[in-house]
Amino acid sequence: MSLYFCSHRPVCLFAASLLTATLCLSAQSTSAQRTSTQSSNPTVQTPSARRQVAKAVAGTPSTALAESGNTVFQGNCAFCHGRDAGGGETGPDLTRSKLVGDDKNGEKIGAIVLNGRVEQGMPKFNLSPEQISAVTAYLHKQKADADLHQGGRRGVDVADLQTGNAGAGKQYFNGTGNCVSCHSANGDLAHVAKKYRGLALEERLLYPKNPPMKLSVTLPSGETVSGRLAYQDEFTVALKTDDGRYQSWPAAKVKFAVDDPAQAHADLLAKYSDDDIHNLMAYLQTLK
Amino acid sequence: MNKLPLFSLAAIAAALFPAPSAMRAQDVDSAMLSNPPRDSWPGYHGDYSGLRHTKLTQITPENVGELGMAWAFQTNQTAAIKSSPLLVNGVLYFTVPDNVWAVDARSGHQIWQYTYPQNKGLHIGQRGVGMYKDWLFFLSPDGHAISLDAKTGKVRWNVVVADSAKGYWTTMAPLVVHNHVIVGVSGDFDNLHGYLKALDPETGDQQWEWDSTPPDGTPNAPSGGMTWMTGTYDPKLNLLYWGTGNPTPVLTASTRPGNGLYTCSIVALNPDTGKLQWAFQPSPHYTHDWDAVETPVLVDADFHGQPRKMLMQTSRNGYFFVLDRTNGKSLLTKPYGPTNWATGLDEKGQPIPNPAKDPASDGRLLFPDEGGLTNYRSPSFDPKTGLFIVDAHPSYGIYFAKPADGTVGWAGADYGVWGKGVLQAIDYQTGETKWTHELGRGGAGAGVLTTDSGLTFTGDSAGNMLAVETATGKTLWHAGTGAQMQTSPISYELDGRQYVLAGSGSVMFAWAVPEVSDTRPVTSQVRKLNQ
Repeated sequence: MSLYFCSHRPVCLFAASLLTATLCLSAQSTSAQRTSTQSSNPTVQTPSARRQVAKAVAGTPSTALAESGNTVFQGNCAFCHGRDAGGGETGPDLTRSKLVGDDKNGEKIGAIVLNGRVEQGMPKFNLSPEQISAVTAYLHKQKADADLHQGGRRGVDVADLQTGNAGAGKQYFNGTGNCVSCHSANGDLAHVAKKYRGLALEERLLYPKNPPMKLSVTLPSGETVSGRLAYQDEFTVALKTDDGRYQSWPAAKVKFAVDDPAQAHADLLAKYSDDDIHNLMAYLQTLK
Repeated sequence: MNKLPLFSLAAIAAALFPAPSAMRAQDVDSAMLSNPPRDSWPGYHGDYSGLRHTKLTQITPENVGELGMAWAFQTNQTAAIKSSPLLVNGVLYFTVPDNVWAVDARSGHQIWQYTYPQNKGLHIGQRGVGMYKDWLFFLSPDGHAISLDAKTGKVRWNVVVADSAKGYWTTMAPLVVHNHVIVGVSGDFDNLHGYLKALDPETGDQQWEWDSTPPDGTPNAPSGGMTWMTGTYDPKLNLLYWGTGNPTPVLTASTRPGNGLYTCSIVALNPDTGKLQWAFQPSPHYTHDWDAVETPVLVDADFHGQPRKMLMQTSRNGYFFVLDRTNGKSLLTKPYGPTNWATGLDEKGQPIPNPAKDPASDGRLLFPDEGGLTNYRSPSFDPKTGLFIVDAHPSYGIYFAKPADGTVGWAGADYGVWGKGVLQAIDYQTGETKWTHELGRGGAGAGVLTTDSGLTFTGDSAGNMLAVETATGKTLWHAGTGAQMQTSPISYELDGRQYVLAGSGSVMFAWAVPEVSDTRPVTSQVRKLNQ
């Protein structure tokens, strides 16, 4: 059954699939921090790390509170974040989340729960302060438990993504992939490997999430209005002009053009071999 | 004008405008489910066929532009409605996890609400109730089957059908066949065997169990094969058709060599005994979470000039299958969108998985993504045009698995990269797509209903409910609902008025063409009142 896609998403999965990987409690800048959560998850624990974990476990709130948090979690969170908070189809592994690690008494977790991350597909949850404190206790307990266990983790480490050939990747970048038509190793992509690592870099390579799209609308008068695409469906188009004003039109009554800078990424998806992707990763990781 | 005998005018008037009266009580049984009256929708799919096609024709391509809201029912819940409502005796029954409502189908007024006690089951979704006589059957997140008195919402019995402590949960709408309440189970996070159970509607006692996979812990065998969507039934063949889910561990097959029967399969069972008659496997040796639980749609029609009893499925793995449902033999297998995980078809018409596309430590790009080229919401078959209409999701995802991910549950990780929604009309004779209708970035994920008047209802990725022309896909009507539709629409007629129902977000919407009681201009009516 599956983590069934839409099947089980509280917000529509289909829509969320674009956003799936961005739905990350741990991130201000999702991609950047996902990397940092990965690196903060050592697969080999040192004795001092173990002591810290033991301390964390000793310091977690009462088992009863965590147990009550478990009930709240199963009812509201588990369908995305997994039954053990270790990540599901749409929600990231919260036991690897930096935000969960940084949270002390629910101040950070609570803010995310109450406000949601609607843009990334996470709805708001109207939980009481008691419920939030219980969920926090549960998440801290799950994180401590997960830190004690070797293996069995679901995730992608930076080390996993080192199988490509940088030279072949550079060739693809300049040749077959025609990435150079928009990007430059010395320009927009200079130091990209410092900004993004591992899975975050690969996800951006394949399709940057929520790319800023441009809309230009030609009114019946001949006047043209341009700005950042703010909304589009079959019936309505809308933009935000540079001064922040939102304007919308019936799609059937104006001429309009959407400029999606990431469309070239989507077009490449059906053309890549897995080696192409691994090679491109290897090349981009040289741009430090 | 020719004079008609008075009695025939009266008969026509009675047929067109039935007088409100005490309704003769409808008694849900297999006969009613085989051929539901116009003023009912007594099972998840309406009838047993899974066509999700209504014979009602009051709403037409000509007047659908006037469609307006008859009422809306607010559940006031965070959880989105994913259930397909039932309608019996003028009362609608629908759900979200832990909650069942009985609502007046004319007004949207609540009759009762049943709330299941707080529990630790997985609250991923609830797909609706089943009904037999005056009894409802509802599954809880923690694996209980509960029977409610449809009149009052009072619990009749409560039995455990799945052990939530082991990692099972339940979400599906039970199917009633004869005196069997057939329930399926869910559970992907642990290595658990899948099964289907028949319960006695009077007592909840188990009548039979069919296991899709061997007992938990069987070496070199798959677990999984969950049965989380409502199947279909052919009363003449007395065969029950059910789709099963993916094997576990999900993303690695290191502990389960071979095809993994009966996971990702379509099975035909005897509904009275649970005995397997035949099986067809859309995805042998699965490693991408593409359940084969999408509706097995039962169509009686010509196939390449020969009358056939067929079963059709647009499977989550991206393939459209047409089977002879008397024996499970393949008539047609064809992708209906981008797929890259199979090297060809075997002699049975089943795709042959490409081992190079198994999830790997450095990632594999797959189409479709994990959500699949479609998912659990219903497609629809339109008998007049022979079009199989499905909400499709062309998409790409990356799949990872390595030994450190273990061999329990998910055992890997995968991420959607890009996708969009497309309503797609497939010619069942060829598998070719006749038309497509773009539904927006990301994807839509709404179910589909067709009508005998040539309309198709569904939803887009922005939360618009749409009516399009079945023959062409051209948009004829839309209304913004404020949330994506995660339900499959239904239709029924009450008091001579046709309704179309679909849930969006936490709200159930009923749509109808305006009632015309007096077509004179308002001013003339007012004048009359003043006289």
